[in-house]
Amino acid sequence: MASYKPTNIPVYPKLGEKVTEETLYWKNYKTPIQIKEFGAVSNIHFSPVTPYNFAVTAFTRIHLYGLLSQEPVKTFTRFKDTAYCGRFRSDGQLLVAGCEDSVVRLFDVSGKVALRMFKGHTKAVHVTDFTSDRYQILTGSDDYTCCLWDIPNSAQLNTYQEHTDYIRCGVTSQLNRDLFVTGSYDHSLKVFDARVDKSVMTINHGHPVESLLLYPSEGLLVSAGGRYVRVWDLLKGGQPLVSLKNHHKTVTCLALSSNGQRLLSGSLDRHVKVYNTTSYKVVHNFDYPAAILSLALAPEDESIVVGMTNSILSIKHRKPSEEAKETAGHQRRRPSYRVYAHRKSYVPKQDDYLVSKPVRQHLAKYDKQLKKFNVSKALDTALETWIRGRKPEITVAVIRELDRRGTLKNALAGRDEQELSRLLSFLIANLVDARFAPVLITAAEMILDIYQSIIGQSPVVDKQLLHLQSLLERELDYQKDLLEVLGMLDTMFASSLPKIELPCSGISTSNGLPQGQSTASRPQVQVN
Amino acid sequence: MASDGGSSSLQLPCVFSPKSRQYLAVCAQDGRLRIWNTDSKTINQEYVPSAHLSATCTCIAWGPCRTVKEGPQRKKRKSEAVQVEEKADLLAMGTAAGSVLLYSTAKGTLHCSLDEAHSAGVNCVHWHPEDSVLYSGSDDTNIVEWDLQSGKMRSKWKADRAAVTSLCVSPDGKLLLSAGHVIKMWDLDTKELYRKFTGHSTAVTTLRFATTRPPDSNGLYFVSGAAHDRLISVWQVREDGKDKNSVVSFTLTDEPRHVDLVPSNSKEEAVRLAVVCQDGQLHLFEHFLNGPCKKPFSPSCSVQMADTRESPMPIPMLAAVLGRDSRSVLLAYGNHLQPVIEQVEVNTTERHVCLSRDVKTSLSLTMESTVSKVKTPVVNTKSKVLVPGLPGHQAPLKGSHLEKASEKRKKDTKEMSIAEQLGEIDLSATSSEKVKASLQTDNYAVLLVQGLESNDADILNKVLQTRKEMVIKKTVARLPLSAVLPLVKELTNRLQGHPFAGILMVRWLKAVLMHHTSYLASLPDLVTELGVLYHMIESRVKMFHKLTKLHGKLYLLMTHVATSDSSNMVSEVDHTAKLVYEDESSDENEASGDEVLPEEDSDHWEEEEGMEEDKQSSEEEDEGNRTEPKANGEEDMEHENESEEE
Repeated sequence: MASYKPTNIPVYPKLGEKVTEETLYWKNYKTPIQIKEFGAVSNIHFSPVTPYNFAVTAFTRIHLYGLLSQEPVKTFTRFKDTAYCGRFRSDGQLLVAGCEDSVVRLFDVSGKVALRMFKGHTKAVHVTDFTSDRYQILTGSDDYTCCLWDIPNSAQLNTYQEHTDYIRCGVTSQLNRDLFVTGSYDHSLKVFDARVDKSVMTINHGHPVESLLLYPSEGLLVSAGGRYVRVWDLLKGGQPLVSLKNHHKTVTCLALSSNGQRLLSGSLDRHVKVYNTTSYKVVHNFDYPAAILSLALAPEDESIVVGMTNSILSIKHRKPSEEAKETAGHQRRRPSYRVYAHRKSYVPKQDDYLVSKPVRQHLAKYDKQLKKFNVSKALDTALETWIRGRKPEITVAVIRELDRRGTLKNALAGRDEQELSRLLSFLIANLVDARFAPVLITAAEMILDIYQSIIGQSPVVDKQLLHLQSLLERELDYQKDLLEVLGMLDTMFASSLPKIELPCSGISTSNGLPQGQSTASRPQVQVN
Repeated sequence: MASDGGSSSLQLPCVFSPKSRQYLAVCAQDGRLRIWNTDSKTINQEYVPSAHLSATCTCIAWGPCRTVKEGPQRKKRKSEAVQVEEKADLLAMGTAAGSVLLYSTAKGTLHCSLDEAHSAGVNCVHWHPEDSVLYSGSDDTNIVEWDLQSGKMRSKWKADRAAVTSLCVSPDGKLLLSAGHVIKMWDLDTKELYRKFTGHSTAVTTLRFATTRPPDSNGLYFVSGAAHDRLISVWQVREDGKDKNSVVSFTLTDEPRHVDLVPSNSKEEAVRLAVVCQDGQLHLFEHFLNGPCKKPFSPSCSVQMADTRESPMPIPMLAAVLGRDSRSVLLAYGNHLQPVIEQVEVNTTERHVCLSRDVKTSLSLTMESTVSKVKTPVVNTKSKVLVPGLPGHQAPLKGSHLEKASEKRKKDTKEMSIAEQLGEIDLSATSSEKVKASLQTDNYAVLLVQGLESNDADILNKVLQTRKEMVIKKTVARLPLSAVLPLVKELTNRLQGHPFAGILMVRWLKAVLMHHTSYLASLPDLVTELGVLYHMIESRVKMFHKLTKLHGKLYLLMTHVATSDSSNMVSEVDHTAKLVYEDESSDENEASGDEVLPEEDSDHWEEEEGMEEDKQSSEEEDEGNRTEPKANGEEDMEHENESEEE
């Protein structure tokens, strides 16, 4: 007995939009949780130890949030003025922050009052960080100086006065306790070595430097300032490696994904761009509602936290991965699986006559109806709201199948006003789609043939027909324009005719369109 | 366009020079001050007070007329004294940035600039009628008295809790009226508060003294008009201080925009008032001021103006001043960019007068050839010209402490975002010479490049959804070559959608192909770059033939439905007539025996028809019958087409 063949739903590639693994990976986040802070969120820093709390510096406060909590688990409010750059020490025990009143404060994460106050700068301190040996603090200030402080004695160890403008960013090396880099509004980056009391390397970024980032290997340094993100090779003496210009406003923050393969940059133009660190191409793009000031990624890219100028903190959590889901499903199904396990493990011997159990075919609703030759019902099921809204290709495929069988007319006929208007609205929505047009035009002609006698009886249907008519008018105008463009392109291709033979066959395969179309186009090109 | 829709949000200042009415000063939407000669009806001078729109001129006042000698002599516009050789010269302008500019029409340049007294935009300026003193009121709630001999601030005092929106000095120069939350009357010698009047709930836009000099103690009157108020109130300043409420009110059809008033010198003389309203009508009042009157007065004459087209559209009036006799009025009407000035005799016996004038609604900017003295913009050296192309800059903030002052009443018209500023700039008006002078014309191209670089949907939508052909062409022409291919790619993506959106994108694509032909043709991998686009278009256009047919079919059906709808009852008669005609034709032409069947058929048809008519004459049946012959015709048509194809 010949089995029923389900309707073939063709897959239509959409031109231009590429779905890569990257976009799938970065799209796999839940809708953001938005938390209103007291002012612009100037810095976000994740604690390096579990449970990976993060410190959010906004206005005169630093809030500590748990990875999944939406309420701050702890708040530091002992600032006289705007706080800046709250950062954890590598053991997650201490937190340091600068302030507009030029005092640097050191907090115990579990305490409330500052453990140490480092006074010595004369202007706002925007940069603070711990050195890798955990006993010293680096600070950079608007008084053009950067300092090293000793935590146990709360004493100033050294001051560097090499920059000629505000220092707004800085990082310490995680591998060498004496090395740190600062970036300033005087357009320069300076690499300092605490052992020699002066800078060992100066790099010109070309714009006021807003953010710095060291690769985990510390061979590469990334700087952001103006509209540019630049990557420098420190081992080659600060040789510029890449310059990226993908934002249209100042880039304010940088982050590195957990495996070091992707670089993220946030900008005042409200975008976060994700770069591949091998090719330095933009692989993904996030949109945010306001200018972005700060950005941080949780370990394992579990969440993306972004702080904006409108004092909103946006947290995106990664959706639980599908593997996790599957394992959960397996656990539930395990008992029944165990029952059948031994049967499956049975290996047939050579002499056994094997009777394969017919695989039960699962049919979609419309296929079931088609199988029973209920053509009208098949069309009805294919026209169900969610199918025609989300997957018009299914509806179109069913219509094509009906047409192939020659029963489309029957399926379309004998409908009342409501069903007819549903059909028409589907036509209006999809008729101009080039992928569906061939099938739908025949259907539309049939509908007109069948129902021409009742035109004028129902205002609803009449309105939709008028709508369809105006849509067609538009489409025709549009296609006329397109034909003109086609003519222009032909002329243009013709002018570069000598080179055309080889690359042309290249395109026909590369853009995934059926071969017939490209071959149809080629003669035209050559004629012109 | 012509009826300046923008003026509802901001009042554009428009003032006639005092006395001889020789000039009309208009500050139009484009931020330029133009001075028109009322005799020759031509533009006399043009001046750009500031380079950016955030510091546009908010108010103008003509200084008192001066003779050749130094020093002002007569008061502004109120005096009836005849002195022909006097000429209005100085013009004071308050700007949104908080400075007051003095412009000299005799020299045709900026006379001086009065700065650093106001921290927010100036709302009103008023000259003292005799001394060379100027008063200005601002959003920062202060009134400043300027000494024009030295060009310095003489005194400054806080007038109100809210912004000072209007000022007026009494004809004798002793009293000053200011309007904020309440109307206050100040003694100018002591700068002390003399009286307070409460009555308007919205910002007072107009203040005028209605009597020159108090003949007796109770004879001082003034009028006031406020935003969104459809009346002009008259207040009496009484000696006993019992002047809490307005004594008389005049009703208007809309909020007053421009008020002119001929004050009365004595009790026997009537006050004449000409008010131009927001809706473009002019109302004339005449009233003897003698104490309170409960009932509001309606205008003695209302003047409207309409154009001479078949369906007349109203022409808005901009300003009006009263002449010496009661009938003549000098009118300015039309567009702020090109007002028409005319002396009109109004028949005041009729209550409503409608004048019809032929005004060219399209702007002809060629008028500038007749300009006698057009000045190039004088850019203040301190002010910074901002170009939207530079990244990361802030909106112009001259008074950075502005927010403190404007807590109570925020002016929403002051600061504009870049997108709005872009909207203000009409690229179509710029000629090729102007491109060098003003940097702002290539905004769209810069914006487009930025949008393509960062792939920002907002920016791209804003740029690509322009409907102006000119803007598209210029933008594409200015596009750097590196941005051409990304733009084509973006357009390719956008072309796939709905035809409504697609039509705009095709325009862009055409412009790109036309302007960058040589660049694109020179590309070595042109075919690979544009191949996707080519195939996309081709696959879409493939169905053109069938779609056209479908459209024809639908068109035929729908037009017939429309005609049958329009002639519901008559159609029956038509119908029968048609059938009779068919009968006859078949009888006459083909009288052979073969054609018996059709005859029967038609007979049968008619019977049926008759029966149906007997049963019911509803439209349903009617239409059912009517559409059948049509359908036949259509099938025929289709067959023809198909045969043609094959």
